[in-house]
Amino acid sequence: MNNRIKEFRARHDLTQDELARKVNVRRETIVFLEKNKYNPSLKLAYDIAKTFGTTIEEIFIFDS
Amino acid sequence: MKKAVIVFILAALVLVTTGVWFFTASDDLTSFDLVDFGIIILVVGFAVFFGFKKLSSVKKGEPAEDELSRKIMLKTAALSYYISLYVWLLVMYFSDKTRFESHTLIAAGMLGMAVVFALCWLFFNFRGIRNE
Repeated sequence: MNNRIKEFRARHDLTQDELARKVNVRRETIVFLEKNKYNPSLKLAYDIAKTFGTTIEEIFIFDS
Repeated sequence: MKKAVIVFILAALVLVTTGVWFFTASDDLTSFDLVDFGIIILVVGFAVFFGFKKLSSVKKGEPAEDELSRKIMLKTAALSYYISLYVWLLVMYFSDKTRFESHTLIAAGMLGMAVVFALCWLFFNFRGIRNE
């Protein structure tokens, strides 16, 4: 699974720290997500999408 | 936060006790006692490291634990437990081949477990947790 968190974060002018605080996780988790080293839970994916005002499908790309 | 403070207090108590033991028995210390000290330092080192990590997260306004750190800890515990079984098998093998006392072998097994845990934690921190 790939994601566009970095792109959306830049678009919303947010740092990793700020995004982490908004979705109530540690900065390390955002780093892991951006490097595609971690697949988030549905709740975290939803929280991230909500923070960017978009849908989960827009941010997370599922490749079969 | 409370958890981290308790960890620091326990670590300090263990270090003080170890220090007292070290200074009172410094004349009759053997190389095997040094292995015991090594284990204590390693285990206390882990506790202090994780305590500092949690405290620094709380200071930055982040949660002390989140879903990734819990998952990493869970995977680390599971894998290190599995590998530790083989460590103990190795210890059992060496108990027949060598003349070490039983407490030395147990200490070596514990040291092995601590090292395996640290290596597994590093492994999952570098590799990450994907598609699981």
